Amino acid sequence: MPERFAHALNILALFAISGILLFAFYDQFVGGDLPCPLCLLQRVGFCIVGAGLALNVIFGPSARHYGLMILGAVVGGAVALRQVALHVVPGTGAYGDPVFGLHFYTWAFIVFALVLVGAGIMLVFRPRPGIGGSFRSPMGLLATVLFFLVAFGNGVSTLAECGTGLCPDNPTSYEGYEALMERWADRSAN
Amino acid sequence: MMSIPFFTSALAVVLAWCGLRVGAIAMTLISVVVLLVLFRFHATDALDIAL
Repeated sequence: MPERFAHALNILALFAISGILLFAFYDQFVGGDLPCPLCLLQRVGFCIVGAGLALNVIFGPSARHYGLMILGAVVGGAVALRQVALHVVPGTGAYGDPVFGLHFYTWAFIVFALVLVGAGIMLVFRPRPGIGGSFRSPMGLLATVLFFLVAFGNGVSTLAECGTGLCPDNPTSYEGYEALMERWADRSAN
Repeated sequence: MMSIPFFTSALAVVLAWCGLRVGAIAMTLISVVVLLVLFRFHATDALDIAL
């Protein structure tokens, strides 16, 4: 596989990961569904996969970067599988509304499985190292900046939802943000 | 606490962009470890399924 082609595929995949995280943001802020702790951990899995892809985009494709993607996909997939198992028995309820017939956590498991397949294919057909020169391109820059903003934004929104501790199992409000506002109001009153 | 792995993965991208490849890889690995620890905290109940 030509190194430039592998690089372009990594840029595309990085845009796809950012797209998944942005869709989750859309559901959170427009749909009003607060992400549960396991949902947030699946987002972390996507961020780790994205970090591996960003390394490929910035430094060129490497087995170590694909290894990071595989680690993120395995742990993220395990989190998704646990959530699937929690609700797989009929009558045990579900978290959130289904999208295209499947719940977010089921889609997450499928995407993590696809990441593993994709990383496997890229490792089998990866180009010989040391062929390419500079990998910095406008599209690569755009993909990495977008991913950085989405990952950082997830950190801020998780801080607003859960504060500095662990998230409640069934979040109902942005507790961290509300606690901060209360503290701010108390300080202003005194 | 649950926001930590988001910030570490975002930081990994910044380190990579600054040319610090080893630092970026280490930061991503830290994200994996933190994800595992947080998963351990949130997966406490036994699942009611037969395997």
